[in-house]
Amino acid sequence: MSNTLRLYLACIRNTLDAALCLQNFPCQEVERHNKPEVELKTSPELLLNPILICRNEAEKCLIETSINSLRISLKVKQADELENILTKKFLRFLSMRAEAFQVLRRKPVQGYDISFLITNYHCEEMQKHKLIDFIVQFMEDIDKEISELKMSVNTRGRLVATEFLKQFV
Amino acid sequence: MAGAEGFVEADNAEAIIIRIEHKSRKIESLLKQGKPIEALKTALEGAPPKTQDERCKSANWIVVHRALMAIKDVDFMFSSLDPEYYDILMKGLSTGDRPTCDQCLRIHEKLTEKAGLGCILRCLADTVNTV
Repeated sequence: MSNTLRLYLACIRNTLDAALCLQNFPCQEVERHNKPEVELKTSPELLLNPILICRNEAEKCLIETSINSLRISLKVKQADELENILTKKFLRFLSMRAEAFQVLRRKPVQGYDISFLITNYHCEEMQKHKLIDFIVQFMEDIDKEISELKMSVNTRGRLVATEFLKQFV
Repeated sequence: MAGAEGFVEADNAEAIIIRIEHKSRKIESLLKQGKPIEALKTALEGAPPKTQDERCKSANWIVVHRALMAIKDVDFMFSSLDPEYYDILMKGLSTGDRPTCDQCLRIHEKLTEKAGLGCILRCLADTVNTV
């Protein structure tokens, strides 16, 4: 793992450690409703400043917090067209199964590849440091997965082409 | 009333930008002399805390960034920097499109070790003094 990646993940981990201080807060506008304030952004007093952590121009992470919820949006590095397609498909596959992940958001925020939404209920059921470990581990694994997918696509393409062209030799 | 305040703000913005330009010239000369830590202190000192203007903030940050890039020994820098500058530094590192190099990320990590999570929380929560 390169040094920049380690620093980037350490930075995100520290920021999440500080930002994950959520508590239950019923909706101020509508009775008996309880909504994640970071999504609605109706009351500015409930929102904190968003923090943007950039590793380079292609990779960044936006962390927005509010009193009862936190949203993390990631932009994954995509070096070429093939990686672009693979990332989009893979992350769409995960986002469609957001129910199983619980903390995943079904649609990524505009301008990013994938988003997580953590609410106070998640913090009550699950341990805070484990949630942070999950997010950081996810970021590490995403890069590995995309490179593996790319390698397997290239290998398969090469095999298929070799086999196909053998008949013309 | 709002109009008058807007006018004062614009005036102030121009004055602040001129001040920042003066500061950047001073910092350039300090860097040439090989004193990056003094340069950083000068850059952080005049940081306009309550300005709303984006240009002032980015102009100021460019100056601070120059000084940061020149610093080789990060630990020594922290031992000689006053604690009141930690908050300003952290705010600059966190907001906006700014940490686009690993020197910045390294500084962020060391700063968190030194100043603790409270510093990060002040960046998140502080709406009065925004760098």
